[in-house]
Amino acid sequence: MKAIAVVFGGRSAEHDVSIITAHIPIIESLKATGNFDVWPVYISKDGDWYADKAMNEMTFFKQPDYEAILKKQKKIHLSFDNGLELVWPGFRDRKVKIDVVFPAMHGTYGEDGSLMGLLRMAKVPFVGCDMAVSAVAMDKAFTKQVLFAEGVLVVPFVWFTHEDFVSKDGVLKEKIAKLKYPLFVKPVHLGSSIGITKVTGKSRHPGEGRDPELENAIEVAFHYDDKVLVEEGVENLIEVTLPIIGNDVLTLASVERPLNKTEFFDFKDKYLSGKGSGVNSEYSKIPADIGDDLTKQVQELGRKTYKTLGCSGIARVDFLIESTTKKIFVNEVNTLPGSLYVHNWKKSGVSGVGLVTKLVVLAEERFTSQQSLTHTFSSSILQKVGGPKVQ
Amino acid sequence: MKSYLKNFFPRYHLRYIRTLVYMLQASEYHTGDFLRWFARTRDFLHVEERKQLVKTIKARVFLGFGYLFAIFLCVLALWVLIVGTLWWKYPLFFLMALFAPYLISYSLVAFLFVLRLVQWPIEYVMTASAKKKLRAHRGLKIAIAGSFGKTSMREILKTVLGVGKKVSAPPGSYNTPLGISSFVKTLKGDEEVLLFEMGEYYPGDIKRLCDLVEPDMGVITGVNEAHLEKFKDISRTQKTIFELADYLASVIGAKAGIQQGLLYVNGENELAKKYAREDVILYSRSGAGEWKVEKTDTDLSGTSLVIQKGSEKISAHSNLLGLHQVGPLVVAADIASKLGLTSAQIEQGISETKPFAHRLEPKTDAHGVTTLDDSYNGNPDGVRAVIEFLSSLNGSRRFYVTPGLVEMGAKKEEIHKEIGRELARAGIEKVVLLRNSVTPFIEQGLQEGKYGGEVIWFSKALEAFSALPNLTVQGDVVLLQNDWPDQYA
Repeated sequence: MKAIAVVFGGRSAEHDVSIITAHIPIIESLKATGNFDVWPVYISKDGDWYADKAMNEMTFFKQPDYEAILKKQKKIHLSFDNGLELVWPGFRDRKVKIDVVFPAMHGTYGEDGSLMGLLRMAKVPFVGCDMAVSAVAMDKAFTKQVLFAEGVLVVPFVWFTHEDFVSKDGVLKEKIAKLKYPLFVKPVHLGSSIGITKVTGKSRHPGEGRDPELENAIEVAFHYDDKVLVEEGVENLIEVTLPIIGNDVLTLASVERPLNKTEFFDFKDKYLSGKGSGVNSEYSKIPADIGDDLTKQVQELGRKTYKTLGCSGIARVDFLIESTTKKIFVNEVNTLPGSLYVHNWKKSGVSGVGLVTKLVVLAEERFTSQQSLTHTFSSSILQKVGGPKVQ
Repeated sequence: MKSYLKNFFPRYHLRYIRTLVYMLQASEYHTGDFLRWFARTRDFLHVEERKQLVKTIKARVFLGFGYLFAIFLCVLALWVLIVGTLWWKYPLFFLMALFAPYLISYSLVAFLFVLRLVQWPIEYVMTASAKKKLRAHRGLKIAIAGSFGKTSMREILKTVLGVGKKVSAPPGSYNTPLGISSFVKTLKGDEEVLLFEMGEYYPGDIKRLCDLVEPDMGVITGVNEAHLEKFKDISRTQKTIFELADYLASVIGAKAGIQQGLLYVNGENELAKKYAREDVILYSRSGAGEWKVEKTDTDLSGTSLVIQKGSEKISAHSNLLGLHQVGPLVVAADIASKLGLTSAQIEQGISETKPFAHRLEPKTDAHGVTTLDDSYNGNPDGVRAVIEFLSSLNGSRRFYVTPGLVEMGAKKEEIHKEIGRELARAGIEKVVLLRNSVTPFIEQGLQEGKYGGEVIWFSKALEAFSALPNLTVQGDVVLLQNDWPDQYA
């Protein structure tokens, strides 16, 4: 039986969402296969690592004092001795060798490539996108820049750091003034729609060039991140999203249309409105009622975006559609969709078990192909250090 | 040795007494069943798995007695140790401590006997009073007996006849003399039809219930291996159930336009059909009495049927699933027609019938997965009917989840192998089995039937239930067949 570590929690604004994703569906489905020895690896908000099978149950995290319970437990160490081992230090170390890792961490340190870097160093196969694409996709501005460069349509945007905002206020205001209202202000690194504000332009003072609403929105975004994106809103908007799995050969789920009550699909809609299934399943239409032509275009654009960024394992591409002109913009790419968007996969004929099993296979395939690459070569450069200059 | 000690010490756990009382309750206070469970059980800490002790007055009394007796034993043992002066006080103390768990268990059984002695005159008075009230009642009394399908028949009759008549029936599974007596107390006297389910556990049970109820007519839903462990021999089951036929044979006269002594027997059940006398009305999916079934159709939305008697034609759609429901529906139509209900009323009655809790009850979740809860159906005929229904569902991936059937006695191997063969024949895509003493026979049956689907094993029902949402996709149909109560663990 393969030992699989599901890593979740973490020092991220999406810590709690990660706990849900890890359990529903990942741990539940991995257990249902009967083929895995599932090790839940939880990273606390302070960055401490714990592994205890009691955490395989979601009920563990429903205890109001679960953090206090964990503090009494032994923290684990990681050993990278030709693979990954979980180590409980003691008089005689207890060790568990991990065959595959299933990252279930949203946001910073998890979905942004940090964890993937660690796992690459540990030489262990892991599920989902690799380090570089995770890092790019985590930054909404980078994603748009890469996609724009490759000819994928994205909405006009301006990005800046906190430093830029303070020092280049005038230049930025000019750039932003060229964007068409309404605007969306987003922290570039956060997922789950945290810290995003819609700016309508109603409070704009045309003469002074000031917009208190916009300034406020930027302030909110900087509260969460040091890099902020201001982008144009799309008129007559239809939002759709498309979950995709695969490395070279891609499998698409159904194009899904969130039927959000609020003005955009925010954190509450995504994670708190659904009944027990982890992500919203009641407020979306699967498949989206956008007609065959648009659906095909979305699928095509989804494939192109996935490949352009170099995604592997799983990702979800979000689109904005201008419903009168039928223009489709790629909005962002999520390398760890909340709860893997299992509600959509189930409606597309892929069960939770089918999904996690396939993802593990994809992880192993990518690992094998990476291992076949040569990373080192022999050279005499060390011997030549300090010797006569090579002409 | 290690596992022996591991299982031995939990008998001294505070929960031990609760476990014993729980099992007394689960085995419906039948001492034989309880003692058999006690003799074969090793792990007393993990018994309350599927259900929990319901703290009824009776259960509380037993709990109180159990704890008091345990305290008494402790005090007695300590007294021996402290007051005793001779050398043998130590072995005596040791023996008392060793046998205390057994003494507690047997004391509960002894207490049950004492309680029965007290209960017996109370029950006698209650049933005598119920009998008197029932005899004076002018409503048509219909008794339903059989190894299976009694509750479904009761609910169908209640719904269909209820359109034109005032019908009353004991709720839940009130099918013992005491249950029926407490129901009789609630009768107002203006009911036009009374329905009684008659439960059979031992020979003579149905006769006793007939003496109490004095039914005017009856329905025998079938005879099979349900409770075979108690009856030992299927012919004893058959004789017990046919005690209703024997009773009705002696009833003459007419009531509410119906000839008294009338008996309907399920013609789809071989054993019932074999023993039925010639003057009974056999019912099946082809018809009952003068009603002939012209057309039927069934799917997840329910069952449509067209029935005809002479020039009278009824076309109705029931929400009940499966063609095995057609026979009972026609019985209801026939009785309703005899009671003077119009065709329109019968049609309305049939259309109002719907699945009952845990009996092929469909529920579709937000992900588009339909679960058919058939957890109260644990008999071979019911299983056959359900597999037949599943095989008729086209275009859906079907999951059949079962822990097997309990109380099948010596026939358990044969019956479970046959279930496996039927599942293979029906081409069910996924068979989910729970590990116990009977499910390997289902697997053997599947292999014999050259089953091409997937068999998925789980150790516990709860594991299977939490895994199923992760195994299914939109459009799948999941059938939960039977429950495996803790007393059979």
